[in-house]
Amino acid sequence: MSLALDLALCALILGVALATVAGSGLFRAIVFFIVYGLLVAVGWVRLGAIDVALAEAAIGAGLTGVLLLAAHGRLRRLGTARDASHGAHLLSALAGAALAAALAWAWFVLPLPERPGPELAAAMPRAGVENPVTAVLLNFRAWDTLLESIVLLAALIGLWMLTRERDWSGRLGLPQHSRAGGVLASFGRVLPPVGLLIGVWLVWAGADRHGGAFQGGTVLAAVGLVAAMAGLVRPPRIGARLWHVALMIGPAVFVLAGLAGAILAGEFLTLPPPIAKPAILTIEIALTASIAATLAFLVLGPPEEGRAP
Amino acid sequence: MTLWLTFVALGVLASLAGALWRVWRGPREADRMMAAQLVGTGGVGLLVVLAPLQDWAALDVALVLALLAALAAVGFVKARSDDGAGDPEEAPPTPEMMRPRQTRHDPRGRHG
Repeated sequence: MSLALDLALCALILGVALATVAGSGLFRAIVFFIVYGLLVAVGWVRLGAIDVALAEAAIGAGLTGVLLLAAHGRLRRLGTARDASHGAHLLSALAGAALAAALAWAWFVLPLPERPGPELAAAMPRAGVENPVTAVLLNFRAWDTLLESIVLLAALIGLWMLTRERDWSGRLGLPQHSRAGGVLASFGRVLPPVGLLIGVWLVWAGADRHGGAFQGGTVLAAVGLVAAMAGLVRPPRIGARLWHVALMIGPAVFVLAGLAGAILAGEFLTLPPPIAKPAILTIEIALTASIAATLAFLVLGPPEEGRAP
Repeated sequence: MTLWLTFVALGVLASLAGALWRVWRGPREADRMMAAQLVGTGGVGLLVVLAPLQDWAALDVALVLALLAALAAVGFVKARSDDGAGDPEEAPPTPEMMRPRQTRHDPRGRHG
């Protein structure tokens, strides 16, 4: 019976993936992609990867959908929302098939790792936290996470470089507005308190249970986006100093903790067990602020003073 | 109990497949979007059923999904407004919306 459930879920995921790439119509593909994110999140839960499921639910169901729908709306206002040519379809299909084949090849060739890995189990007492995912991300393989947080920042800077000269001092994104007391404005008031609570809790619980800076930060970003899209909160300008601090505090605290490790343990980014737990919590809280601000600003887009479209 | 829960999960999954049919068929964009919202709601239901089956932490995922699945709908109505940043409720009601319901499908075609 459990096998039937997994098979049905796999069939649905494959079917939705096929419908996303094979069906005609841009909008249908976008909606199928949103559905795909939802189903893949359920798939990760079935595999027992709750941390990944949380990230997929927050990114796939929340932010990506908003981003793609906004892009589609803009294409339509520009009058260019139509399917690409057959040649472009064929090219992307070939590229996708090649990537899938390469991944399948790697899957069959590489040896299956033991779960959760004897080395990890032996090292966990030194990690300072109970959640093995957090231990790997912020302690044993902190280099990767540090560089990823810097990549996010670089992506935002790249996006801001697309700003037109005349809009540079404006507020981020399109000037959002809604009917006072309408459905959208009410939704923008109801959702943020709940989302704030869940986002902060995901970060706090991430040390010993499931969750973490990325999941919590994504939820916080989504909550801020809802408030901004309802026209209740005005996005900041590019030059806002306080937000520069929020964007940079994550990588900065991470590097500082790494330097502290270099002094105390003799190696950069090595957290000695006595300070591991407070250090990881501090890094997580700082990273959450940076991830939340960066993701929200990425979805809002560069400043545009409402010039159509 | 496990068998029963798995059976319920399969049922929820089947209802999700029904919503997928509406995403495929449309015909309007709003139909597809509402079907995606139904998949979101069904996904929350599925995760709640899965929680006692394998891991109570699935409830965390259900919580995040319940919170954020509606975000796509907000993005949709935003993208449908004239400047991409508005709210369909801001527009003054059109004569079509103000007309009493029984005359909307007037055989003389006044609405066309």
